[in-house]
Amino acid sequence: MSTSDRFDVDLRGRFDTTWAAIALVFRRFDSTGIVLVLTVGYLGVFLWIVGDLSIRPAVPANVLIVDDPVARMFDRTGPASFEAIALLDTGFVRVLVSPVNVAIGLLVAVLVAVNLALTYLAVVQPAACGIGAGSGLLASLPALFSGTVCCGPVILIAFGIQASALLLTLFAWLLPIGIAMLLVSLVSVAGKIDATEPSV
Amino acid sequence: MQQTTRRRFLGATGTAWIVASAGCVGISDDAGVDSNGVDDLADADSPSSAENETGTGVEVSENGPPTVERTLPQEYGEDELEDAALSGGPPPDGIPSVDDPVFTAADDPPANLDDGDPVFGVELNGEAKAYPQYVLVWHEIVNDVVGGESVAITYCPLTGTAQGFYRGDVEFGVSGQLINSNLVMFDRPTESWWPQMPASGISGPHRGAVLEEFQVTWTTWERWREGHPDTVVLTEDTGFVRDYGGDPYGGYNPPSGYYSNDNTLFAPLATDDRLEKKAVVLGVRNADGTMAVPKERVRARRIVEGTVRDVPYVTVYDPSLDTGYVYRNPDDRSVEYDDGSVAVDGEDFEPDSLPLEREIAFDAMWFAWYGYYPSTVVHE
Repeated sequence: MSTSDRFDVDLRGRFDTTWAAIALVFRRFDSTGIVLVLTVGYLGVFLWIVGDLSIRPAVPANVLIVDDPVARMFDRTGPASFEAIALLDTGFVRVLVSPVNVAIGLLVAVLVAVNLALTYLAVVQPAACGIGAGSGLLASLPALFSGTVCCGPVILIAFGIQASALLLTLFAWLLPIGIAMLLVSLVSVAGKIDATEPSV
Repeated sequence: MQQTTRRRFLGATGTAWIVASAGCVGISDDAGVDSNGVDDLADADSPSSAENETGTGVEVSENGPPTVERTLPQEYGEDELEDAALSGGPPPDGIPSVDDPVFTAADDPPANLDDGDPVFGVELNGEAKAYPQYVLVWHEIVNDVVGGESVAITYCPLTGTAQGFYRGDVEFGVSGQLINSNLVMFDRPTESWWPQMPASGISGPHRGAVLEEFQVTWTTWERWREGHPDTVVLTEDTGFVRDYGGDPYGGYNPPSGYYSNDNTLFAPLATDDRLEKKAVVLGVRNADGTMAVPKERVRARRIVEGTVRDVPYVTVYDPSLDTGYVYRNPDDRSVEYDDGSVAVDGEDFEPDSLPLEREIAFDAMWFAWYGYYPSTVVHE
């Protein structure tokens, strides 16, 4: 067997293992619940950090939609943030509806949630694998980074950090770096779970 | 009464005007240059004078905004400034300018506009308009027409500067770059970079050119409305959806966040600790040099006098708008505060209409002013 063949087999095996572990997450009510809660929670925090979600209890309910929303939605407002096409005031929260921001946030939120759900399985089913809380921590770091990617300078101002060209360049790469780290974490954690174990 | 920089334009005659384009301090001692750096020869009735088509003394290039022949203090070359540019995050037009502004009457202002909120007031050819800071913080540039003039009202939140420029047929956009934490505009036809505070081109075909400016007054909505009852005010109908009423940097009414703390996003080009970093100064730069007057000082003293390279200047407080007007006073005439008005050689005048040469001044945070103009004098 050549090196490339072994690599192909390993890659395929890794993919199958990861897929099986993710399936295990969704076969259990508790881990599925964790995924749902974390996805919604993370998405909310993500949208709040990028400025698309805010508390505005004094503003009456209202809806505004921009002209030509399909073209507008792909206009960038930051390294990885995009224009809102509608404004929704509910009487309590204000939502700037940016479909691309929501899609990015949802992708990252699901990755974070599945990562942490797998870590949860490792804790409640220690016989299934040998991993500890470190995997969850690994997953949470890029999640934290990527959540700040769309508004780097504002975050820096909030924390009183003086920006440099290097730091701003780093901000522009946080989202792809964050997603890559989440995927690596996912594969790493999934590989340590025995997905054939009977679910609870 | 606004003094503009308009002068007759000598086109093909080869008028010897100088715009310092490189190196440090390009202030000229040449006779024949007034405080705005406009060559006095341009006012001569020379038979060889060739006015441009507007006859306003403004050079209008084919694809760019109107520029003027001024000698401004330039303490950094264009290359230095271009090298100092840093991306603030957004791409060009990522912070969208308002290109089709919608206004409302003073008696029907936007719901989010409180009396004490800052507005940038403009009065041109008898028309008054107010631009709320809480709207401009999301857009930074409004391409508008005021008093029949095509203008750009510009605002940089990080340096606290609101400035007005004539724009001719072109529109300005927000480049996303920052120099000395200050907004860098670009003109849409040529994409030349125009840093706001220096008001000069640093890249592209307009490198070295200087924009024609007019006075923008930083005041509050209540003060502007009372002084200009016929004013209109910019609404939130900008064509974009934003969290109007929120401010990503802090707030002015009352002061909070970035506007009141000591943090800067970028290291300034130069630093000085004579004043607090975010202290607001009234800044003036012209052919005489650069000067800054702390707004708190002029508010407290009503009249602040000083010199710029031996030329006397006087800054007069206007309590109705809580602003100051800077006058060049080369004959060193007596200027005294007189119970709400200002006496010049014993005769009373309103603070905004002294019989002296009024300079264009704008509010700026001290760190930003000093960063661009480290040779500045401070009048206290």
